[in-house]
Amino acid sequence: MPKRTHESPLKSTDRPYLALGLEGSANKLGAGIIRHEVDGSSTVLSNVRHTYITPPGEGFLPRDTAVHHRQWALKVIEDAVTISSVSMHDLDCICYTKGPGMGAPLQSVALVARTLSLLFNKPLVGVNHCVGHIEMGREITGAQNPVVLYVSGGNTQIIAYSRQCYRIFGETLDIAVGNCLDRFARVINLSNDPSPGFNIEQAAKKGKRLVPLPYSTKGMDVSLSGILTATEALTYDKRYRPNDSPRNGDDEDCFTSADLCFSLQETVFAMLVEITERAMAHIGSKEVLLVGGVGSNVRLQEMMGTMAEERGGKVFATDERFCIDNGIMIAQAGLLSYRMGFQTPIKMSTCTQRYRTDEVHVAWRA
Amino acid sequence: MAVVAASASTTALLNSSTLISQGAEAKVYRSSLHTGSVPILLKHRFAKQYRHPTLDSTLTRSRVVGEARALLRCLRCGVSVPGVRFVDQASGILGIEWIEGRTIRFLLGSGDEGDGAHDGDSEEDDHDVDSLADYEVSKDELMNMVGTEIAKMHLADIIHGDLTTSNMMLSHPSSLNHSLRIQKLVLIDFGLAYTSILVEDKAVDLYVLERAFASTHPASEPLFASVLDAYKRKMGKDWTAIGRRLEDGK
Amino acid sequence: MESFAYPHFSSTVHVALFNNVTNAARLRARIGDAEREAVNFAFVDARLVTSVLHIQTAVTQALLAASQNTLRTKTVHSEVLWALNPSNNITEALRRYGVSDDSTALLVIRIDPLDFLVVQDRMGSVVEGTLAPILELAGLTDWAAVKKYNKLNEDPVINEAQNDPSREHHLIDNIVVSIVAMKSVAA
Repeated sequence: MPKRTHESPLKSTDRPYLALGLEGSANKLGAGIIRHEVDGSSTVLSNVRHTYITPPGEGFLPRDTAVHHRQWALKVIEDAVTISSVSMHDLDCICYTKGPGMGAPLQSVALVARTLSLLFNKPLVGVNHCVGHIEMGREITGAQNPVVLYVSGGNTQIIAYSRQCYRIFGETLDIAVGNCLDRFARVINLSNDPSPGFNIEQAAKKGKRLVPLPYSTKGMDVSLSGILTATEALTYDKRYRPNDSPRNGDDEDCFTSADLCFSLQETVFAMLVEITERAMAHIGSKEVLLVGGVGSNVRLQEMMGTMAEERGGKVFATDERFCIDNGIMIAQAGLLSYRMGFQTPIKMSTCTQRYRTDEVHVAWRA
Repeated sequence: MAVVAASASTTALLNSSTLISQGAEAKVYRSSLHTGSVPILLKHRFAKQYRHPTLDSTLTRSRVVGEARALLRCLRCGVSVPGVRFVDQASGILGIEWIEGRTIRFLLGSGDEGDGAHDGDSEEDDHDVDSLADYEVSKDELMNMVGTEIAKMHLADIIHGDLTTSNMMLSHPSSLNHSLRIQKLVLIDFGLAYTSILVEDKAVDLYVLERAFASTHPASEPLFASVLDAYKRKMGKDWTAIGRRLEDGK
Repeated sequence: MESFAYPHFSSTVHVALFNNVTNAARLRARIGDAEREAVNFAFVDARLVTSVLHIQTAVTQALLAASQNTLRTKTVHSEVLWALNPSNNITEALRRYGVSDDSTALLVIRIDPLDFLVVQDRMGSVVEGTLAPILELAGLTDWAAVKKYNKLNEDPVINEAQNDPSREHHLIDNIVVSIVAMKSVAA
């Protein structure tokens, strides 16, 4: 297999570069400052986040989320600047999430970015949220050319780099995996604090019984809505024990909400690992990088690790600081493209709810 | 349900076989069931450690069954596929007719993108110099055969689920009995196949193949265009709806 | 007679083709008799077998069932007949594929590591007929019956090939072999 050994298009620098990243495409508002050092390494100077948490059983609506972001923007950015101990004047650019995500929250953060850009006379860089995840994951883990599984509340994609583009090899045909888990958490009234997915993960640890659920992979794609419907339907089943009451002898056939969380995770994650493995085999890659909020799920990391090991490969994952939406990843991806000469003129500094990963020209990679 | 575990006889069978490739789904062997038999291809869906054992066992069984049934359905409808020769569901093994030949991916000469190993495709290691000329067909004829065979499959309401140029083979002329005029292009790897009458599913099948062409073979547009031409001709009136769907999907 | 070794099942299988059989009715009566060992064979009506591969495939699946303790019938020999019949009806399998009063060509099978000559000798003493090379099977097949029992009359591919017998037979053989191989998981 011929290895491409092109040099990185990123020029070495004689001075460090600094960027502020602002993220607010969903219910997390994040601000972070990154510094690209002269020797090619990066330093995370600050990474501050505030999450809009709704009561159990409720999801977050775009309008309320936008209100949350507006209320917290000043505080979060101020903290990020203070912690980093750099001045706004030292920045090279201000990066913001252009999309994909929810319209209103995206716009409220873009507005903040524009304002800061004008106030401090700094260039703006619009960033693709998914590319932000990938670049931060690569930076933190050191994975060279991995197959990327991007799993979050809004996205489920299998991505691999090819010719200055992050190509999508597989994705969900309906809802995102995080959405699937979150919605089930709401069905069984789990808390949204710190996140519904985290609480599903904890509940699943107490689950023992694997309840059969639909399993739907098509090539490198998955379908998840049928599984959510089926799992939800099981909560109306006669055999369902919502309060996790211990089973007695004649209760063998029954299942608890913990069993359902366990079964849902086992099934959905098995599907994800399966399509990731198929992509790895297709591309001939031995590395897999997990990014996105669901990527912080330890069970998913464990299953992915087992698969990668069987293939003689390795899984790279990050913890919740970098997996869950954050500002620093926007700063990282934005600064990379800024260093390649990319800027977003203020007139063009719009947002877009749909912005596919493969639309981005990845100029900074060979 | 019992966990998929190879029985003693199965283990012995696999041990006596030659591993020819290991894909994501299965290990593929060239084997022989008894002395003096023609070779067969064994596809062993080994246990996946990452999956819950119950789930793993259920999936393995249903996929062995699904693939065997899809093959039989194809055979009955005259779609050129390998015949089924051996089924050991408990061990996750499917045995099929051995096809002496090359994948279309190999015969087209894959581009730089396709330098990785693909499921069931270990040809990159070989140094044989088989070329299209040895197979007595032109590129155009080959693409014609591909389109026609896929159309026959779709007319039988079978969706392949993973159409790539690695999942179709051309049998070598020397392996054929010419008096029988057997189809020379063989569709393989029905592990993800299912039946459906939906236009949508057939269009997706074609779209998957188009993507595969684009990612594996440089300047593939004219190649895929002649596949579609032959497909169109064979599908007749069914083409209109599928063609429209294929356009919409892009 | 021919013998095939199945090393992974630690088995040897002896297959002989008898033509011009004259004692089919008596053979049928003797099966299930007290003198089991003398007729401890699978007697298969050769008219319903399309190729050597067809019978070998049935034998393989019977051996597999025996090795996994999943025999549907009493013995591995009757399992061969069961494997050949597309339905799950055991009586029907024995009636259709086994020896019947008017059988004139029989495939006689013994699944046993016994010595070749011993088996051939025993077969010869039981069956009154001509021992024929197994490849002569090709000329004995009753294709119409094969199509009927395997419900191949509606299959478009078979109808298409009707005017070309050698092609039709090849296609039918591939289908019935596949049906036998996957009988355990048939829809």
